[in-house]
Amino acid sequence: METAIQIITYGVIVGAVYGLVAVGLALLLGVMKYLNIAHGTFIMLGGYIAFWLFTLWHIDPFVSIPLVMLGMFIVGLILYRVLLSPLLKSPVGLRIGNSMLITFGLLWVLDNAATWLWTSNVRSITTSYTGEVLNIFGVKLPYTGLAGFGLALLVIFALHLLLTKTYFGKSVRATTQDPEAANLMGINIGRTYLISCGIAIMLAGVAGAVIVSSYSITPAGGLNWLLIAMIVVVLAGEENINGVFAAGLVLGLVEAVSVFVTGASYREVIGLVMFVLVLMFRPQGLFTRRVRGT
Amino acid sequence: MLEISNIDVYYGDFQALWDVSLAVGDGEIVTLIGSNGAGKSTILKTISGLLKPKTGSITYDGIRLNRLPAHKIVELGICMVPEGRRLFPQMSVLENLEVGAFLSQARQVKGDTLNWVYEIFPVLRERAKQPAGTLSGGEQQMLAIARGLMSQPKLLLLDEMSLGLGPLLVQDISRVISEINKLKGITIFLVEQNVRLALALADRGYILENGRIVDQGDAKVLWSSDSVKNAYLGVGPVTEKG
Amino acid sequence: MADNWKRFLISGVIVAFFVLLPVVIEMGTDTMNLLVMLFIYIILAQSWNLMGGYTGLFNLGMAAFFGCGALTTHFLWAAGAHFYLAMLAGGIIAVVLAGIIGLPSLRLRGMYFAIGTLALAEALRLTVGNVFPRTIYMPSTYFVDFSLVPRYYLALAVAIIALMTVYIVANSRLGLALLATRDDEEAAQVTGVNIFKYKVIVFAISAFLAGLAGGVYTFYRLSLSPVAQFTPHWTFDPLMATCIGGAGTLTGPILGCVFFVIIQNWFALTLGKAHYIVLGILFILVILFLPGGMVEGVDRIRRFLTRLTGRKPEAKGELY
Repeated sequence: METAIQIITYGVIVGAVYGLVAVGLALLLGVMKYLNIAHGTFIMLGGYIAFWLFTLWHIDPFVSIPLVMLGMFIVGLILYRVLLSPLLKSPVGLRIGNSMLITFGLLWVLDNAATWLWTSNVRSITTSYTGEVLNIFGVKLPYTGLAGFGLALLVIFALHLLLTKTYFGKSVRATTQDPEAANLMGINIGRTYLISCGIAIMLAGVAGAVIVSSYSITPAGGLNWLLIAMIVVVLAGEENINGVFAAGLVLGLVEAVSVFVTGASYREVIGLVMFVLVLMFRPQGLFTRRVRGT
Repeated sequence: MLEISNIDVYYGDFQALWDVSLAVGDGEIVTLIGSNGAGKSTILKTISGLLKPKTGSITYDGIRLNRLPAHKIVELGICMVPEGRRLFPQMSVLENLEVGAFLSQARQVKGDTLNWVYEIFPVLRERAKQPAGTLSGGEQQMLAIARGLMSQPKLLLLDEMSLGLGPLLVQDISRVISEINKLKGITIFLVEQNVRLALALADRGYILENGRIVDQGDAKVLWSSDSVKNAYLGVGPVTEKG
Repeated sequence: MADNWKRFLISGVIVAFFVLLPVVIEMGTDTMNLLVMLFIYIILAQSWNLMGGYTGLFNLGMAAFFGCGALTTHFLWAAGAHFYLAMLAGGIIAVVLAGIIGLPSLRLRGMYFAIGTLALAEALRLTVGNVFPRTIYMPSTYFVDFSLVPRYYLALAVAIIALMTVYIVANSRLGLALLATRDDEEAAQVTGVNIFKYKVIVFAISAFLAGLAGGVYTFYRLSLSPVAQFTPHWTFDPLMATCIGGAGTLTGPILGCVFFVIIQNWFALTLGKAHYIVLGILFILVILFLPGGMVEGVDRIRRFLTRLTGRKPEAKGELY
């Protein structure tokens, strides 16, 4: 029984981080219909910012998050201006393909630039509380894991509030569902895209900061996290940002159980196989109730 | 108030409008009729900024609209209710209306506008929390018009609002259009295939055929003209006028 | 018609050049290694080109077929089978794998096909890494008399086969169906084209070529760490090269691979992995400004020059 609770706890903690990892990708995909293959790379970038802030100036990773957010938000704005907005001129059918290719090229440039600048050494942050656990009724809860969980919950909830309660959020959702109609409401869709991109990359950065303290980062690690993000996005349903947290939990729990059953070496394989199965049999995701659109 | 002078509009290399000129005065209801594919929606899209004319000009109260982006044109007080409604299907009725009031000046008076709109279309108040995609065709059309009204427009552009609606519903909506024009002074420019409806509602009309204006005039006069018979039936000789 | 003969003649000359090269010149091992890898890249590039360039199916999991071919060839060859049979088997097993992966994933549209194939290829890589964690060596008898020359000719031969395959497909009814699918899948379906069947066929051909490439690589390297043939860069490098050169053309991937290999080696002397940065930037620029790649670039220059000399430019066409 104790092991069962430990497994579930582990799955939930990991799953929350998975949700956080995925939410930036989901946002960009929903709003602009762009698939950001470099998403994982931006996660790593956020991690590196947190890492260097810690290593050079001893700023705790969870404290430096606002700085990471600011930096990555700006990166997102630049990304939109330079690479993504030119694509808007191409016809809608080609857009996803072109966005994949462009962000793929970006992944190459950034990954290898990072390797060149910072070497491919594995980096992680060890603070005074890394490795310490809170012990409740025999269940071990690592401090970094709890902090990551809390942060993920906070960030995703904040995003949810932004999207539902603010006018900006409503304009984002309107643009997601029908950009031309949104334009006719007086919404400047170019600006909506710009800020959404900034937010999406900012979210990736936050995920990176959590990952560098709970796991580790390398320049090449981005692809791995991209796959995780994509699995979660598909599980949640393509334009369903609300379902991302729950989908992350599902993935985390499935992985936790599979590690227990088949051992750690097949952890990722299970996730990937489940991903393909969902794509094949329930492509609209596990958490959307009906087919989209009127 | 709205003046269109000699515009040519293209979709890529394909010319859809040829030397089109028309005017809509303050407080009027003006209609543009013509058969399918004549180019009616194209004119509305050009006015609202989704398309740009290659030649000619569009001015509104003296301001040139040619190069303005769509969202800026809405700020001037021109609001289009697009063909096919184009609601935000996963947002609720209320949220659709709120997005309609996106402009800051409209946002400030949102509460009052909302009450007014619920008075005109009571069914929307009932369905306020429902996703827009679950409404019936007629309710969706009402929501689309209501959403347009939320932006406090001075000029309302209606694109084929009778499409897919039963005759009773069409009558109801016509009555509403007439009311908002008389009571609130909102100028209406409607594009329609339903010629009877259009000319009954409007003060003046234009007839568009194959991208060209072929006739215009007082609504009652137009009703008995030959060009209307051609437009109504969609057949007959192609008239080379103007 | 005269055009075609001219093209065949030029291709013939180039092929003859490469065939005679080792005989006529004493090439250093460096150059030979370079050329072998170039030919292998060309095979992989054309394999991806068939799916990505001509059909619009972005197969991000091509490494799986390459690795599969390499592994199968290795085991069969080490077990004593004649090499050519082993290589052929490698290609065939790759096709079987394509069937397993392809039949479900081909139902996915655009973006999902890409990430689905990537996911499956990664899953396969991880599994192979678990099952065969250590480098496997050929029995030492195979090392005796090792010479690069047969490797060179094998790679060249398979590269020529790959090119001929693409040429034949592109000019066949299959090719027409694929191009129609790439441009507008729904429209193609509505005209009665059995999209699914053609996708399966092109997937199989593509997988076969990639599998053969794996076999060639096994012959070339002899000893392998099995998992290394499944790493994504075996998909991404040829993909990049193809797009820079011009996807959907016959010569595009060739130009792209030559360019890729040259840049790779030039930088390796100076900045190490930095060549990827340059290539990545170039790739992005191509996508944004010159989607037809180098082939389009050459075409544009040609037309510009023709206009300069006052002659009427001929109709824009693809090279091959």
